Amino acid sequence: MHVNRQATATARRTPVRLSAGAVYVLLMALAVVFVGPFVWLVLAALKTRDEWAAIPARILPHKAQWGNFVSALTDINFPAYAVNSFFLSTMYAVLVTISSAAVGFGFARLRGRGKRPLFLVLLSTMMLPQILTLLPTYVLFSRLGLVNTYWPWVLWGLAASPYLIFLFRQFFAAIPRELEDAAIIDGCGWGRIFVRVFLPLSRPVLITSFLLSFTWTWGDYISPALLLDVDHTTLSVAITAWYTDPHGNAIPTVQAAGAALYVLPALLIFLFAQRYFIRSVVASGVKG
Amino acid sequence: MSWTRYSNRSFYLFVAPWVLGFVLLTAVPLGYAFGVSLTNFDGSSPRWRWVGFRNYGELFHDQDAWASLLRTVAYTAIAVPLSVAGALGLAVLLNRRLKGVGLWRTMFFLPSVVPVVAMAIMWKLVLNRDAGILNALLHVVGIRPVSWLVDPMAFYALLILTLWGLGGGMVIMLAALQGVPAELEEAAIVDGANRWRVFRHITVPIISPVIFFQVVTGVIATFQIVVQPLLLAETNSIAGVGQVPQSTHLYMVQVYQEFFTSNRFGYGSAMLWVFFLVILAFTVLIQRSSRLWVHYEVDTDAEG
Repeated sequence: MHVNRQATATARRTPVRLSAGAVYVLLMALAVVFVGPFVWLVLAALKTRDEWAAIPARILPHKAQWGNFVSALTDINFPAYAVNSFFLSTMYAVLVTISSAAVGFGFARLRGRGKRPLFLVLLSTMMLPQILTLLPTYVLFSRLGLVNTYWPWVLWGLAASPYLIFLFRQFFAAIPRELEDAAIIDGCGWGRIFVRVFLPLSRPVLITSFLLSFTWTWGDYISPALLLDVDHTTLSVAITAWYTDPHGNAIPTVQAAGAALYVLPALLIFLFAQRYFIRSVVASGVKG
Repeated sequence: MSWTRYSNRSFYLFVAPWVLGFVLLTAVPLGYAFGVSLTNFDGSSPRWRWVGFRNYGELFHDQDAWASLLRTVAYTAIAVPLSVAGALGLAVLLNRRLKGVGLWRTMFFLPSVVPVVAMAIMWKLVLNRDAGILNALLHVVGIRPVSWLVDPMAFYALLILTLWGLGGGMVIMLAALQGVPAELEEAAIVDGANRWRVFRHITVPIISPVIFFQVVTGVIATFQIVVQPLLLAETNSIAGVGQVPQSTHLYMVQVYQEFFTSNRFGYGSAMLWVFFLVILAFTVLIQRSSRLWVHYEVDTDAEG
């Protein structure tokens, strides 16, 4: 796919005539809107409770309250929830990447009866709202005794993700046929061809798939909220509800610190893997 | 065994994980939901019984369900065009020679990787009536404090939250714009067309399949919004679902409440199935309409 072509090669015209200065002013105003909430979150995390509640709103804290971050880590068992989140996300990401690569390979390189209709079903499940199946799945799993275990994520991981299958299929379909012909002449079966020839070539897609699926689970709220109890749940659930004072009122400054710590891994992953991320978003969206 | 038969069998082995997963984790739950929707099951009590289509009959007369469905359609009709247009606008703005173009793109894309929980916490801090920065800024221009998280403004708060994440769409639009042949636009300008006309009659038709894709996925994503209203509600706990303001009480919120506040699993499942059909109908409708306005240069079915 030629999706990552350099954008800056040609200067295009906007439909409306804008001077260069106006463009930068507009961009800066937009940047405030898009980045502002991050800044406000960090500022809130550095204020005392009184400073946060001050009317009219204070922009800057008098003195940075780093203690809020300490409270965020100790008021709830933050490390334990972080471990839960990390374990669940890593496990799901590893499983779903392997299974999706295999299914993607099957759809890209192998022939089988009923391949086209199956692929159409696959594409249409991409359109199926996850929440529609999640609630019955929850009821089903609770009857099967799978609630409060991590088995649902194992199953979801093994079942592959239509979105990632699509990503892998697109990548594998573009690899020239001569490569596998040579391996076939050498007597390799499809399993070996997949593992020895195709997987080593697909490092960028494997990384993308791993990072995407990791961040899905890291950011998911509704599945852990439904399926896991207080001890087994993830950071995303823990930081929403349990930063409270003895009266049961939420402490916004500590919650802000907790949220900042929680969002940091997702942002760091994104910044490190930016090119991969954007490319995969594009790949998923351009060729519906 | 012949090579063809071997390949055929290999194909099924390779796609088996997804096929099994689809059957067990999508088809079975949906079928199960249909079964449950014909009962008065409450999630725990063993004393449930078959009620036939009574849940569906009740749903038909349920004012709250209709209201939440209409609200969801209205929300989608407002949020999707705004975010698609916004994504396109940003893409057009960034599809030019700019200083630090990568940095601008990163800044606008960043929100779309923020987990929904963190997003909700951030915006609750920004939109807080007394201590939020938005009201503080409005105060500067003389506007009195707005209660963003309660009716009727909660609707707009949710909209702001949705639009904030349009960076993902922007990136896709950007890629599409870069696929538009520059010569075509330049030729039209040489012929004396103004920029808006070139954009409207050349650029937009060429990228219309991508716009279409954005609309379809946007509609489906917006239809199923549930976590955002739950988390934006004034209370901080998931148990506080009851306090979701009416204006953000979308259909899935209603379903969620039937399941977990009223423990009406049978009725909730009926609601899910009706919604499934509604989404299907909308998708088909949009698909049909696409023939009128989506411009395909080549047969998109041609695949390798």
